[in-house]
Amino acid sequence: MKKTISTLYIALVMLFLYLPIAALIVLSFNESKSMANFSGFSLQWYEELFRSRMLMQAVGNTFSIAIISSVAATVIGTLAVLGLSNMKKKSQDIILAANNIPMLNADIVTGLSLMLCFIMLRLPLGYGTILFAHITFSIPYVVLSVRPRLNRNTDRLFEAALDLGASRGYAFRKIVLPELKPGILSGFLLAFTMSVDDFIITYFNKGEGINTISTIIYSQVKVGIRPSLFALSTIIFVVAFAALIVVNRNSDRNEVAFNL
Amino acid sequence: MAELIRLDNISKSYGDNEVLDELTLTVEENQFVTLLGPSGCGKTTTLRIIGGFEKPDQGRVYFDGKDITDLPPNMRPLNTVFQNYALFPHMTVGENIAFGLKVSGKSDQYIKDKVKYALKLVNLKGFENRKITQLSGGQQQRIAMARAIVNEPKVLLLDEPLGALDLKLRQEMQYELVRLKKELGITFIYVTHDQEEALTMSDKVVVMNDGYIQQEGTPEQIYNEPENAFVADFIGDSNIIPGRMVEDRLVEIKGVKFPCIDGTENGFRPGQRVDVVIRPEDIEIRPYGEGLFNGTITSKLFIGVHYEMLVKQEGGKFEWLLQNYDEHQVGSEIGMYVRPENIQIMHKPQSDDEKRMNLEI
Repeated sequence: MKKTISTLYIALVMLFLYLPIAALIVLSFNESKSMANFSGFSLQWYEELFRSRMLMQAVGNTFSIAIISSVAATVIGTLAVLGLSNMKKKSQDIILAANNIPMLNADIVTGLSLMLCFIMLRLPLGYGTILFAHITFSIPYVVLSVRPRLNRNTDRLFEAALDLGASRGYAFRKIVLPELKPGILSGFLLAFTMSVDDFIITYFNKGEGINTISTIIYSQVKVGIRPSLFALSTIIFVVAFAALIVVNRNSDRNEVAFNL
Repeated sequence: MAELIRLDNISKSYGDNEVLDELTLTVEENQFVTLLGPSGCGKTTTLRIIGGFEKPDQGRVYFDGKDITDLPPNMRPLNTVFQNYALFPHMTVGENIAFGLKVSGKSDQYIKDKVKYALKLVNLKGFENRKITQLSGGQQQRIAMARAIVNEPKVLLLDEPLGALDLKLRQEMQYELVRLKKELGITFIYVTHDQEEALTMSDKVVVMNDGYIQQEGTPEQIYNEPENAFVADFIGDSNIIPGRMVEDRLVEIKGVKFPCIDGTENGFRPGQRVDVVIRPEDIEIRPYGEGLFNGTITSKLFIGVHYEMLVKQEGGKFEWLLQNYDEHQVGSEIGMYVRPENIQIMHKPQSDDEKRMNLEI
């Protein structure tokens, strides 16, 4: 009895969480344009999606920005963690607190202030400013996921490598970097999904004539959404879902390593 | 034996915390030297200075007559077995052991043979392809040893290597370490807070506290002739009692006069206040009235090999700690006797002010 109730409860929660997404996926395969009735299976909206230059450009922008910004943020964030480890405890705490604030800050504030900053510096809003903004807001996430990997244990491993005759560079590449790798990887994936996901900050910093997936969906809301956007959203969901699975599996492995 | 390592006047502080104060120490070739002391006494810092992981604020480190103070750890001809082993978790056992040889550019065949030999030496034949995470604590300990000795260092530094093992395994590994040292014929510098480990394995024990060397000597010297109350207390159970020299070779403790073998010839003047150590196993039980002093047994505890008793001195409040193979009932009145050679007389520890005055003279 108890078991049935708890199963039922979980089922209900899952339903609330995934029913909307399921509706979206189903409608993306709908034959008609209706948002209420499923009249038959078709791939026409996917076809329309891939034929639309505007949509495809937005997709291209989204992913190129996501890849470039997450790679840049990963490199910068990892270097920041390495630098931090050589600082005094007090300065470390201050910088880490400063690192956490942008994550808690409302996107709209971050977006607005970045925009004002670009305008002040007379940088034309466009692809470059979106990229710059995305790198900026991704770095804290990378720092947060790499930092726990660099601890007393890695210090000791580094010393052990030196003790065995390795140079500092060799010891770092062969011993410390592999230890940081899971953190770097999840930092990268986090930055990537944050970038793909972002609307507000992108919206304020994109300027005219350039769109990402989120901004193009928003602009179409005004003129009426076409089901090709359902198709696009379905694809994004699948991509995000896959990324999530990778991150989770990765962090599971980390936990195993921590327990040992 | 020739001198191999010399620490000359080493001082080291972290902020306001002075860890080592003008420490001077020599280690001879092929010696098993143990740095022994409570946590925070500076023993690990000393080892890290020898290994090159810390720079002394003052003083020099010599190896084989050469000044190596400024040499980074990877240029020093010594290897370390770290406290928590610091094995590389993403490498196999074989890769761990081969790491040092690979760095020094040895041939593949040589490395393979050497790894095999090292594993045999630590009794873990055929473990090459195991993962580090699959090993027990004791096995990890052996791999850490193998990884260090495979490089044929002149000196092996060991930082509390047995600290994480259980008692039985620890005793086994003590024998292993002594055997390994004999087989390899190299110098061991060993850090521990465990006095039993220090006494069983070492050729020379260096007792440290507060950044100073309290006493160095063979295990027998340290145990039988502690130089001050700290050493006596740290090495095993003891009765450490303040006393006063009455005359040459006679000391008064708790109102009882004990004949002893120390006196003016080794710097104890009549009337001088001293500390006296009497080991609990050195107090002999005699029938009442037939010893030097009498007392009543107030408690008794069987601790394996012998009984441990507290005996309240007659006409006083002081309780003596006794160890005896024979059982005596609580409440019984006994006489006690101590042989003169078992009374160890020590100078009172000097206060910091006195030390400074001595330096000025």
